[in-house]
Amino acid sequence: MIPSDHFTRFYNEIFKFLESQGEEALEAYWLAISKNQERHILELIQTQGLAGMYEYWLHIKIEENCDMDLDFNEDRLELRMNVCPSLSKVMDNDAAPMERYCDHCAGWIGPIMDKTGYHMVYDVIDRTKPQCVTRIFKDPEKARAAEKDAKLLMGWPGHKVG
Amino acid sequence: MATHESPMRYEEDGNVHLDFHGATNTTIDFIVERFGVDAMDAIFRKVGRDVYASIRSDLITGDTGQLVRHWRHFFDREGADYDIEIGEDEIVLTVRRCTAWHHVKALVGHVSPHFCDQTSRTNEAMAEGSPFAITTELTGEGSCRQVIARRA
Repeated sequence: MIPSDHFTRFYNEIFKFLESQGEEALEAYWLAISKNQERHILELIQTQGLAGMYEYWLHIKIEENCDMDLDFNEDRLELRMNVCPSLSKVMDNDAAPMERYCDHCAGWIGPIMDKTGYHMVYDVIDRTKPQCVTRIFKDPEKARAAEKDAKLLMGWPGHKVG
Repeated sequence: MATHESPMRYEEDGNVHLDFHGATNTTIDFIVERFGVDAMDAIFRKVGRDVYASIRSDLITGDTGQLVRHWRHFFDREGADYDIEIGEDEIVLTVRRCTAWHHVKALVGHVSPHFCDQTSRTNEAMAEGSPFAITTELTGEGSCRQVIARRA
């Protein structure tokens, strides 16, 4: 068994393999993971909107041992990851990190936001540091305005940036 | 077979997120369907050699301690039903109820026929170049017997 604690180090090896197969393979995988994650979050979003997302990520913050601040109001949800356990483990690893490891988060979350009519602004800030800020809006204009403040804006399959 | 309290390269604590096993199952299905079993096996072997380089390095020097401690630490964290017997000639890990397998079964209803390859292939890779062979025998749904023994 690869322990659930070590999933991210396994994930990292998967990303390296898929990157060697081309961008299409990597994006197809993110979409497969996104589909997998729908069983955990889709109903919450469809029934409770931003409040459902808050509930999901509050559970993740606890269960995945995240140092993360969640700020929720009726306009948007903000996830401020101070220390991301996922990238932290990938960096504390005898195997080399995949340089674009952080891209997977936008890769699975973004398609769910597109499907449910929300607008995500995902600022990775710096791929070598385990911190990021994600803001999710119902109003596309507010999302576009927030994009201007991002240091390293992430896109996802079907939503390219830059 | 002697073993002792070797330091562990990775020793996570805090909460456990078992749903990662569901993502592993999805990943195995994806890789096998698109690239074949050989590609999946090669990735598992890479995990065994590279991610678990420290365990492998110990095995190469004849020290099984870190692997046994790794088994205990992570099977305890995940609440598995298992035991480890350390004998003169071999170390046997008997997993009666694998938390990972049963969590996936409950979560998605379908466990990939290749799900347990993660155990078999990483075990084989960790033992590569060492005086030991690690064999994995599946004994039922979510149960197995893993044996560390000196190569003949």
